[in-house]
Amino acid sequence: MEEPRIGVYICWCGTNIAKMVDVEAVASEVSSMPHVVLAKNYKYMCSDPGQELIIKDIKVHNLNRVIVAACSPRIHELTFRTACEKAGINPYLFEMANIREQDSWVHTDRSEATKKAIDLVIAAIRRVRFHEALEKRSVSVNPATLVIGGGIAGMTASLEIAASGKQVYLVEKADHLGGMVAQLDLTFPHLSSAQQIIHPLIQRVKNNPNIKVFLNTQIQQVHGYIGNFNTTILQNGNESVEIEFGNIIAAVGLKPFDPVVIPEYGYKKIPDVVTSVEFEQMLLSGLIQTSEGKDPRNVAIIHCVGSRNKKFHEYCSRVCCMTALKYVHQIRAALPDANIFEVYADMRAYGKGHEEFYAHTTHKQIIFLMFDQQTGLPRIRKAGAADKCNIIIEMDELLSGISIEVPVDMVVLMTNMEAHDDVKEVVRSIGVSLCGNQFFIEKHPKLDPVATTTGGVYIVGGCQGPKDIPDSVSQARAAAARILATIAQESVPVEVTTAQVNELLCCGCQTCVRVCPYSAVSYDESKKSSVVNEVLCKGCGTCGAACPAGAIKCKHFTDSQILAEIEGIMSLSYKY
Amino acid sequence: MEFRPTLVAFLCNWCSYTGADLAGTSRLHYAPNIRIIRIMCSGRIEPTFVLKAFQQGADGVLICGCHPGDCHYQEGNYKCLRRYKLIQKYTQQMGIEKERLRLEWISASEGKQFAELVNDMTKTLLQVGPSKVKGTLEVEHLKK
Ligand SMILES: Cc1cc2nc3c(=O)[nH]c(=O)nc-3n(C[C@H](O)[C@H](O)[C@H](O)COP(=O)(O)OP(=O)(O)OC[C@H]3O[C@@H](n4cnc5c(N)ncnc54)[C@H](O)[C@@H]3O)c2cc1C
Ligand code: SF4
Ligand code: SF4
Ligand code: SF4
Ligand code: FES
Repeated sequence: MEEPRIGVYICWCGTNIAKMVDVEAVASEVSSMPHVVLAKNYKYMCSDPGQELIIKDIKVHNLNRVIVAACSPRIHELTFRTACEKAGINPYLFEMANIREQDSWVHTDRSEATKKAIDLVIAAIRRVRFHEALEKRSVSVNPATLVIGGGIAGMTASLEIAASGKQVYLVEKADHLGGMVAQLDLTFPHLSSAQQIIHPLIQRVKNNPNIKVFLNTQIQQVHGYIGNFNTTILQNGNESVEIEFGNIIAAVGLKPFDPVVIPEYGYKKIPDVVTSVEFEQMLLSGLIQTSEGKDPRNVAIIHCVGSRNKKFHEYCSRVCCMTALKYVHQIRAALPDANIFEVYADMRAYGKGHEEFYAHTTHKQIIFLMFDQQTGLPRIRKAGAADKCNIIIEMDELLSGISIEVPVDMVVLMTNMEAHDDVKEVVRSIGVSLCGNQFFIEKHPKLDPVATTTGGVYIVGGCQGPKDIPDSVSQARAAAARILATIAQESVPVEVTTAQVNELLCCGCQTCVRVCPYSAVSYDESKKSSVVNEVLCKGCGTCGAACPAGAIKCKHFTDSQILAEIEGIMSLSYKY
Repeated sequence: MEFRPTLVAFLCNWCSYTGADLAGTSRLHYAPNIRIIRIMCSGRIEPTFVLKAFQQGADGVLICGCHPGDCHYQEGNYKCLRRYKLIQKYTQQMGIEKERLRLEWISASEGKQFAELVNDMTKTLLQVGPSKVKGTLEVEHLKK
């Protein structure tokens, strides 16, 4: 190993760090440590002059290791690694000490915070001595894309990618394309026809020579990694087709919640209590009629069915409030004299044009009745022979504070949208995860909402969380753009901090093969040793911790690096 | 001099380290005696790391990973949990009280829980007193 020549930089972060940490004391305390060539403090290390300072010092003082003590490495590690690279040293010879988020911002005693900063910097100095140059690697990208789910999101993404002349494999579980939108009549807030939105899209998908559609098809286990995936597709349950692709979009949407489990609502027991999806069918047929074939004189629309209620689903399904208002317009047009009751818990009109749509709808002579999910749901019962209606809704009306009975002939339940039953198998087959509500987890909720933590796998539309058509389409186009950018690059960088087996130390126990979650380790009979496929390895380090022979090196998180860090991290606390 | 326990914490990069960062961004305050070491996943934790920390003077060692089901690498935290139980056995055999070693799940949004955890563990360590194994443990032979 070449003699380490370390440059240490302590950042003030304006007053963010300097107010609580004596940055000069930190620099002077560590300046005389072995291998430390220089230790400086500067106002803003991440600024251009801050980075220039590092670059210049690397060149002038021949530094081969750099430490910046500043904010969290999750924020600026990449910035400083890039600066090192610019100055001609390998980016992995850099190390960061977190003295802002995990020191100056969380402590109130200046001398304690300063002591801690010194400890953290000493630990970094000890650790960085064991850093090794790691070479960036990249893999080629297969230009084909697999899209799972042929709803509006999946079809939009497919068309966008196919428009660039790239191959798309679109896999749909049902026997037709279109998803939920194909089952809708009009759409909020402009009351435009859902059929006129979805049918031209379906035609374009079917006619596009770059899109191969597989109907009645479920996805099997996908193998490979970003740029180079493959799987077998079982069409109509028997015919198997091998496909290869570089990226994946999951667009499996959501399904309506079954209100049978809510005893208060009597769904499937009381006639003329229907779900929103069933009501859409009625609207598409052009007739709103009770099961007896009569025009309903009173219609109630109940919101939040299975939503925003810890007994069922805690989250809001986002589209039902506006859909319920949409029904007001459709019922009013078909049955001008009917009484319409909006039975709601809260009115959520968050989107573009939604508040205006709500205000506009309130002028349609409708009655708003409010209930409280916590104190009790409305109770629906079949009316008696003497009643002049089919159904009676009992409820504690919140705005008036009184218990009332509402006579109606038809009830529409605005059902929650929940994950499909097979969603666990879908996520397992493509290597992504679900949140507590069974929605696909994005890489970053704000900064990267369509990517996942698995490279090359994107999530769009309802499956990422309930959303309306405009949001689903935006995500679909965003994911398509991301994928086309990757395809245009022709190659993608892969993890470099992977695991590596030392064949001389490996005893062949294959513990590592068993613990690796990505099947990245295999046993090589001829070498009598395990080997890591560094393209599949994501660098979790589990195999390194499990290997009984100490034969596995987890690059950048080696035993020596971590042990050295531990040795340094209590330098002052132990002393005093 | 008054006893100030030293706490060494191993935090996985994706959930727990981010949660600790969030405590900072939210300006929550907690005891300054904690020293955090970042690892990519709690599945990387080996007995050697824990013992080394005790040997070097830690009065307590805290391991934090993503909640079950949320590990960035699918199941590293389950592997960690299994290993943690083993390490607890070792350390107790060596006379290290079980309160000194703790495994907790901290998600990226649990800055507050992290701050509370540090304070809580510090309080426990104050009651348990200084660790008696500082500098005396032999760690190196454990690897292999
Ligand atoms: C009653 C109702 C009314 C609505 N009204 C409006 C409205 O007026 N305006 C508006 O903007 N939004 C409305 N929405 C919301 C709209 O339906 C969604 O935004 C939209 O459907 C989301 O599209 P998607 O492609 O993500 O999902 P989906 O439309 O659900 O499509 C998903 C597709 O994936 C398929 N699939 C599922 N699992 C698999 C699998 N394992 N393998 C392969 N394929 C699979 C499904 O069969 C389906 O074809 C309404 C929703 C409901 C329920
Ligand atoms: S959109 Fe409205 S009806 Fe639907 S769950 Fe949310 S609040 Fe309830
Ligand atoms: S766990 Fe270690 S010794 Fe066992 S096969 Fe894997 S590398 Fe070899
Ligand atoms: S570091 Fe993790 S992903 Fe890589 S080979 Fe080891 S166990 Fe598998
Ligand atoms: S990444 Fe957090 S425990 Fe595995």
